[in-house]
Amino acid sequence: MAFASGYFKTSYKADLSLVETRTRWLFLAILIIGLICFPFIASPFLLDLASQVCLSLIGAVALMLLTGYAGQISLGHAGFIAAGAYVTAILFKEFNAPIWVTLPASGLVGAILGIIFGLPSLRLKGVYLALSTLAMHFIVVYMGAEYESRRGFATGIVIKPPSIGPFIIRDPLVWYFLALIAAVAALLFSINLVRSRSGRAWVAIRDREVVAEAIGVKVPLYKLSAFVTGAVMTSISGCLFAYYRGFVSVEAYSLFLTIQYVAMIIIGGLGTILGAVLGTIFVVLLPYTIDAVGRALQVPARLTTYMFAIQYASFGLIMIIFLVVEPGGLVAVWNRIRNYFILWPFKRRPMGR
Amino acid sequence: MRGMDKAQQYQELRNKTVPGLFLERVRTVPDEVAYRAKKLGIYEERTWLDFHQLVARCAIGFAQLGVEHGDRVAFMGDPCEEYTICELAAQALGAITYGIYPTSSSAELLRLMTDGKACVFVAGNQEYLDRILPLSKELSALEHVIIIDTRGMLGYDHSSLVSYEKLSEKGAEQLASRPGALEDIVSSVKPSDGLCIVYTSGATGHPKGVLISHGKHLAATQALIEHYPVLLERSHRTVVYLPLSNVIGRVAALTLPLLAPVIPHYGEDIEDLNQTFFEVAPTVLFTVPNYLKKFASGILIDIENSSALKKLAYTIAISIGRQHLNNVWEKKRDVLWKLVYLFCRCAVFRPILNKIGFDKVRIALSTGAPLPSQLMALWQIYGLNLSEAYGMAEMGGGIISAQRPNYPRPGDVGKPLACLEVMLSDTGEILVRGEELFECYWDNPELTDEFRDLKGWLRTEDAGEWTADGGLKILDRISDSVSHPDKKRISLTTIESALKSSPYINEAVVVGKDRAYLSSLIEIDFEAVSDWASRHNLPFTGFTGLIQHPAVIAHIGKEIDRVNSELKSHEQIHEQIQAFRIIPGELTPAEDGALVTPTRKIKRKFVYRKFETLIESMYEST
Repeated sequence: MAFASGYFKTSYKADLSLVETRTRWLFLAILIIGLICFPFIASPFLLDLASQVCLSLIGAVALMLLTGYAGQISLGHAGFIAAGAYVTAILFKEFNAPIWVTLPASGLVGAILGIIFGLPSLRLKGVYLALSTLAMHFIVVYMGAEYESRRGFATGIVIKPPSIGPFIIRDPLVWYFLALIAAVAALLFSINLVRSRSGRAWVAIRDREVVAEAIGVKVPLYKLSAFVTGAVMTSISGCLFAYYRGFVSVEAYSLFLTIQYVAMIIIGGLGTILGAVLGTIFVVLLPYTIDAVGRALQVPARLTTYMFAIQYASFGLIMIIFLVVEPGGLVAVWNRIRNYFILWPFKRRPMGR
Repeated sequence: MRGMDKAQQYQELRNKTVPGLFLERVRTVPDEVAYRAKKLGIYEERTWLDFHQLVARCAIGFAQLGVEHGDRVAFMGDPCEEYTICELAAQALGAITYGIYPTSSSAELLRLMTDGKACVFVAGNQEYLDRILPLSKELSALEHVIIIDTRGMLGYDHSSLVSYEKLSEKGAEQLASRPGALEDIVSSVKPSDGLCIVYTSGATGHPKGVLISHGKHLAATQALIEHYPVLLERSHRTVVYLPLSNVIGRVAALTLPLLAPVIPHYGEDIEDLNQTFFEVAPTVLFTVPNYLKKFASGILIDIENSSALKKLAYTIAISIGRQHLNNVWEKKRDVLWKLVYLFCRCAVFRPILNKIGFDKVRIALSTGAPLPSQLMALWQIYGLNLSEAYGMAEMGGGIISAQRPNYPRPGDVGKPLACLEVMLSDTGEILVRGEELFECYWDNPELTDEFRDLKGWLRTEDAGEWTADGGLKILDRISDSVSHPDKKRISLTTIESALKSSPYINEAVVVGKDRAYLSSLIEIDFEAVSDWASRHNLPFTGFTGLIQHPAVIAHIGKEIDRVNSELKSHEQIHEQIQAFRIIPGELTPAEDGALVTPTRKIKRKFVYRKFETLIESMYEST
């Protein structure tokens, strides 16, 4: 909905537009220019962070669809990422498969896993569902570890940079744009999905399953579709991550990774795509920020060994703070700030609207 | 030379008819947007060609029902696309249309139906159908009832009932075989034929039916456009929300678009008016003081509820705005103040206007009732280019005199339109004469003679005076003015409108004729006062509990004191409201024996009679 007066729709097609007002077009243009110019002025370190944010965003949005919109709790997110990464690694190692084979293959395996481990969701709810998805995580990681040790890649699998035709993707700059395009595609896909029939069905299931069933939502179908959509997107992000890092190893897919993704959507704000974006930026940058703060404060060298522990602890602390102080997450904070200016000089929404 | 052109233009318009001009418009700009109507969230655009087809179908449908030249067609309902189509269709057949205010009581409905002797009644929806059906036995002239919105009509089975849809369908069938049917019918309508009857609000008696002819209505509307040339400068948007039974509502929705590039917009429902304004952001606004007051009250209350910083910003901006507005009125050029004001306008007032959809308004015209000066000044500070116009149904285009745009000083109603002569009688009553006046009072030659003398001067029943720079100032209803011992006339209306400028006071009726001092009956704005009460943690149960609460009475008293001092300083009125009582209830026009007209004008006599004891109690102590 437009926040400024004078925007009326004369056709349903116009009503579907994602950008409604001139102000929003302006902000969008600034954002796009900023994103395009960013790699040319940023340091390699910042560029790496930006690419990480973009790649993580795909997984975070996927989890947001599954948990934030469809209300299906999943603790198997690292498992889906691992699945994508291992499919890529195995296909590369065994068959020297190029990216245009591994990428869809990851998605396909993700879809299969999504169906299999989405099935319990038809019966289970809440913690029980969380546990069954957790099982999936362990199964995938176990199989990955088995492969590694059986084939003698005990320290991990090295993957060569992907190539499209004669063009080898190695330059961080190219990686940044690739990740950006993938992230934007994932975002557009999700935004359109949640405002279409599937999205509405998911929200109905999340809010009250019985009512959703009563108003004609095919609950099993949409629960499974949520799992499949989430799993496919996540596996693809796993595949891209594997290429980006050039290395696949079991240690990278611990339970902590799942918790990071869950943190992204909770800190960002459940049930909004914007929340996934804000949460991803926040969570990906947090460890580096803590590092930077540590360096700025000139923490004594003997304490830096505890840096990892501090990171873990502050992570948990911030999650708790968000859950207690602002359950709506960063999106709620953003909305409050935005509303302050939108409602100006009033405090509440003016009469009649 | 230009004067000659104008005179010629008027003469040409006097020789045209509304449907004739409509067809002309269809011929010249068939593919331009004629209006937009919101249906299921989408503002559907209708070109003049679409409009033509809709009107043609409906007109043929009417003809099949037996509507003929000179017949009357009555309308009751909220303004909507179909209402306008039906009006134009009926007028194309030479029928005379008249609207009945949606808020009218059934006694009034019966009176207007018997007076106008309509053979067709167009009901907006099932609600109005329920009002007319019980009366249909008493109305011998009534043959058909047409219903526009057919929701909730499952159980209705009435032989005379036709839905708008059915009517158009039937019309379309016949139109298919005779494509030029509408043009043939329209050619038989003469410019001197009756176009519509507009019933006066009836504040001083029963409503009078004012018959207006085609040519005069067009010429009078042209005079209004000439008064506001900005209407022709570019394409404008306007929102149709005023009842079409009112002249100015009709001009804005029907006639103006024929003569100027004004595109009317119909909201989805009159209940969603705020949203419609917000979405459409009209550039031309025709309004009545009641709406301006409602919107302003809402703004003031929301500011009151806002955070301290925002409130402070508003307060500062208002005082700067007041100073700037004074400069504008005095025609003083103070560049620095202007810059400061423009900053305030961008920072504070534009966001306010934006929220109600008034930020794009180029010209706003208030008519229909006296506009309180304070209210007008407030809107001008906000940056709404608000002018006041004085009008009556007897004037073909509704407007007699109007302020020029560009932030005129409140207090008068500007200079009379070019096509009119205005003078004051010995008693101070405003008299009007001109070519564009109405034909006669419908079916009542005696009444016409009573109000219009042989030289053509029409009595308006309003007392007025001329201001120093030649503007007309409306004082009061001639019957209402109270003379003070020093022979100075006190305008009760001025005092009442000052009282009404408080967001907490909806309506005020001042008592003072043959009394020792002035007092007032107050109708509170329930929403505003209950909001105030809950902000101050006052417990109350319902309306009665609220108005009896001592704190509420004290608060209203404080508002009245403020108005008293304002009257003293701004209007040089030294008589103070010394007592007041709150009316136990809300005044509504819909009940029988209503104390307000459908346009919410006070029927003073009836109010005095009904609240006699309450009034007497204010004078008992002396």
